[in-house]
Amino acid sequence: MPRYMVERTFPDGLEIPMNAEGAAACLGVVDRNADLGVTWVHSYVSEDKRKTFCIYDGPAPESIRQAAERNGLPVDQIHRVAVLDPYFYR
Amino acid sequence: MTLLERAAPLDQLLAWSGEAAAGKGRLVLLAGEAGVGKTVFLRSFVSRLARPGPVLQGACDPLSTPRPLGPLLDIAPLLGVTFEHLLLEPGQREQAFRAFLAYLTNDRRAPVVIFEDVHWADDATLDLLRFLGRRLDQSRTLLIASYRDDEVGPTHPLRAVVGDLATTPAVRRLTLSALSESAVRDLAEVHHIDPAALYQTTEGNPFYITEVIASGLGTVPPTIRDAVLARAARLSPPARRTLEAAAVIGTRIEPWLLEELLPFSADAADECLSLGVLQTRGDRFTFRHELARQAILESTAPSWRLRFHQQALHVLVTRRPDDVARLADHAEAANDVPLACHYARLAGREAAALKAHREARAQFARALRHAAALSPEDRAQLLEDYAEQCFITDDLAEALQARSSALRLWQQTGHRDREGETHAHLARLLVGMGRNAEAEQSSANALSILTEGPPGPRLAFAYSCQAHLRMLNRDNLQAIRWGQQAVTLAEQHQDQAMLVLALNTVGTAMLLTNNEQGRTLLERSLTLAREAQLDDHVALAYRMLSSVAGELYQFTRADQYFSEGLRYCAEHDIDGHRFYMLAWQALSHLHQGRWREAAELALTVTARPGTAATSRIMALVALGRVRTRRGDPEVWPALDEALAMATQTGTLQRLAPVRAARAEAAWLSADPDRTFEEAHAAYPLASRHHHPWFMGELAYWQWKAGHAVAAHDLAEPYALQMAGRWQDAAQLWTQLNCPYEAARAFAEGHTEAALKQALGLFESLGARPAATHVTQQLRQLGVKGPFRAPREAAGPDPARVTPREMQVLRLLHQGLRDAEIARELGMSTKTAGHHVSSLLSKLAVRNRMEAVREGDRLGLITHGEPDHSP
Repeated sequence: MPRYMVERTFPDGLEIPMNAEGAAACLGVVDRNADLGVTWVHSYVSEDKRKTFCIYDGPAPESIRQAAERNGLPVDQIHRVAVLDPYFYR
Repeated sequence: MTLLERAAPLDQLLAWSGEAAAGKGRLVLLAGEAGVGKTVFLRSFVSRLARPGPVLQGACDPLSTPRPLGPLLDIAPLLGVTFEHLLLEPGQREQAFRAFLAYLTNDRRAPVVIFEDVHWADDATLDLLRFLGRRLDQSRTLLIASYRDDEVGPTHPLRAVVGDLATTPAVRRLTLSALSESAVRDLAEVHHIDPAALYQTTEGNPFYITEVIASGLGTVPPTIRDAVLARAARLSPPARRTLEAAAVIGTRIEPWLLEELLPFSADAADECLSLGVLQTRGDRFTFRHELARQAILESTAPSWRLRFHQQALHVLVTRRPDDVARLADHAEAANDVPLACHYARLAGREAAALKAHREARAQFARALRHAAALSPEDRAQLLEDYAEQCFITDDLAEALQARSSALRLWQQTGHRDREGETHAHLARLLVGMGRNAEAEQSSANALSILTEGPPGPRLAFAYSCQAHLRMLNRDNLQAIRWGQQAVTLAEQHQDQAMLVLALNTVGTAMLLTNNEQGRTLLERSLTLAREAQLDDHVALAYRMLSSVAGELYQFTRADQYFSEGLRYCAEHDIDGHRFYMLAWQALSHLHQGRWREAAELALTVTARPGTAATSRIMALVALGRVRTRRGDPEVWPALDEALAMATQTGTLQRLAPVRAARAEAAWLSADPDRTFEEAHAAYPLASRHHHPWFMGELAYWQWKAGHAVAAHDLAEPYALQMAGRWQDAAQLWTQLNCPYEAARAFAEGHTEAALKQALGLFESLGARPAATHVTQQLRQLGVKGPFRAPREAAGPDPARVTPREMQVLRLLHQGLRDAEIARELGMSTKTAGHHVSSLLSKLAVRNRMEAVREGDRLGLITHGEPDHSP
């Protein structure tokens, strides 16, 4: 399955509280993605919490967009990516 | 057996029955694995019904090729002679459906209809389910369709029906699960069987449990088959033989037929009944379960099985001569090659007349397996019949092979006219497969052969095929000329089907030259096809009317035809034309700025294996263009595949859209050289055919890439843009309802106001690359950002929240997820998801938690409905 990196901008900063509410919010995202065959692998969040770089597996870019829409998440740009590992060349 | 753990589903079903009786008709899809007890459950439901209405029961049979409309045929005798007659009349299927619906809607007594085992249903029955499911909510009917969900794989035709009905208000789903471990333990203890072994081996399957208990072994046999055989082993030898004969007869066993197979078997049958391996249903016997019948059948010695089949065939040939599907089954199993061939052909024709195309195809295939002794002419005719059904079920490769074999037979036997006709059929198939060069050759062969003899309907067909090829190639004037010859011949010979086809082609070609007279001809073709009930031709007329409107940028008109045409195709199970229209509808959505819908439809088409090349190309163009305009990845894989396929067709109709899409993608990735190359590649072809829209866009991209194109007859908005009249162009694009194209025209304005106008449009469409480009231009003009009002200023727009979305909001407030919301409101999870996202955007919030908070703040949640907040 292809892997995608999704850039997102949160003008007011992304706040996911470290409690049950936050956990529920994340699990909700996972569940809703599952309906579309999309897996959220992990995300990187910028220091000011205004940008995220999310790694997703999914069947097509359209599924990534649809998942974002259902979760109410913004999308700036979707890139198709492959893993490049520095130790690969040893 | 008492019904364990069925109280909840039974109450649920009774509740729906009550809703139906109150005027909200219901179609219940009752799912469960084989042996889970669907039949027993339904019987118990019927016995609990406290309503006056009739209970109509029909079942689908596990014949290798089911009898078309089996369940309806079971019911028909109760509905009177007129209805039975209508049902058996060829070509009256839709009237029969409507008559049945009228019976169900007009009956005030709230009828219950049960279709059992629809996983074995033929195409026509599946159509009936779809037909009723969409219309039952206005009746008092409760329709229950039971099926084995574990046997309905992703490609099973029932899946498509269930999917189509997912959003229908009348539809409810109920699944019977296996018994729990504790229930199995209780049963095991009563019968002194090892509880752990019983649960482990049977996995809670009630049928299997009953068989284990009834086998009287005290231990648990390893498989269902062993359990059934252990139980049958307790029968006397004559009763055992009777059971074998019954298994050969099938799911419903007529006592008189059993007596014919085994004279004096009444006592033996009684023994089977008293041991419970057979049971009485109406005037027939049945096995307790199809699994039991299979187990007995497989354990029967082949010599006996053959003998019983031969006898059954022998008796049924005289007593039930009309039951051709059943006769074909017995004849094949009895190794009676001539009769197997004979009845399979009859069954194929019967199924074809009832539009059960999959069954017709299977019966013709069966006839072909036994056709060695047929005369070459009969074999050729059979191949043609088979090919036609393959064509209708969208398997062009198989159809091509059969037609080619038929062609050789016609050649060997010297039937020049049939040879010519088959060449024309081949042309039609080849062009559908994108093999245009071969199609041209076949069409030329057909013409040269058929003009040798006197003109007749076959020559009309060849003219019409040639006209069709010319039209597809957008050689419109030639298409009109050939087509008119076909029209004249068809009218002379009063060949309605041919006339419909020829009118279609001439009409399409005229429309493509902007001659509105073409619409009259196409509409006439549509009306005539409807009158003659030529479903495929009706669908073809819609296909042409809609896609030509799309090709001429008349999207509002196209949408109208799409909605009518797609509904017609769905109701008549015509997939080939349906998928082509879906692909074109995706393009229509794209141009009108509805990109999400465009992408969704395009993916529906590309995800389907074996779709015709023509449909796939257009879907790939839509997908590639959506990705281009959104700045998403995987543009080129889609457009490269489209180009490879379009190149193989070699026709303007495919090459121009693909090249234009590629030019646009190259332009947005800042590659003017490639933009020019792509647009130039198809431009000479487009201008040879004087196609204003294809010429217009291809010229435009060359112009953008810095190459002047001396051109006449370009579509107006493109011509205006190239003349620097971007305001007029933008206005025209807006009138054509093409917001992206309008924004592109504004972006060519180079004034601050025009650029801001363009930016607003691009941003509202989600056109990131174009928006970025315009932002850069604004910066170059020295305009200081931000270029648009901050998002907050727009604010939420709760006024546009629909009543449905209010319901969704309340359920969100209760913490429900999409799937639960879907269940609660009787819609698909997908639809629920759409409602949630639409709600989020109207409330201008990013997630569900915020939506609930915002809904609370705006007072949307506490109004009207009871308050569920904690």
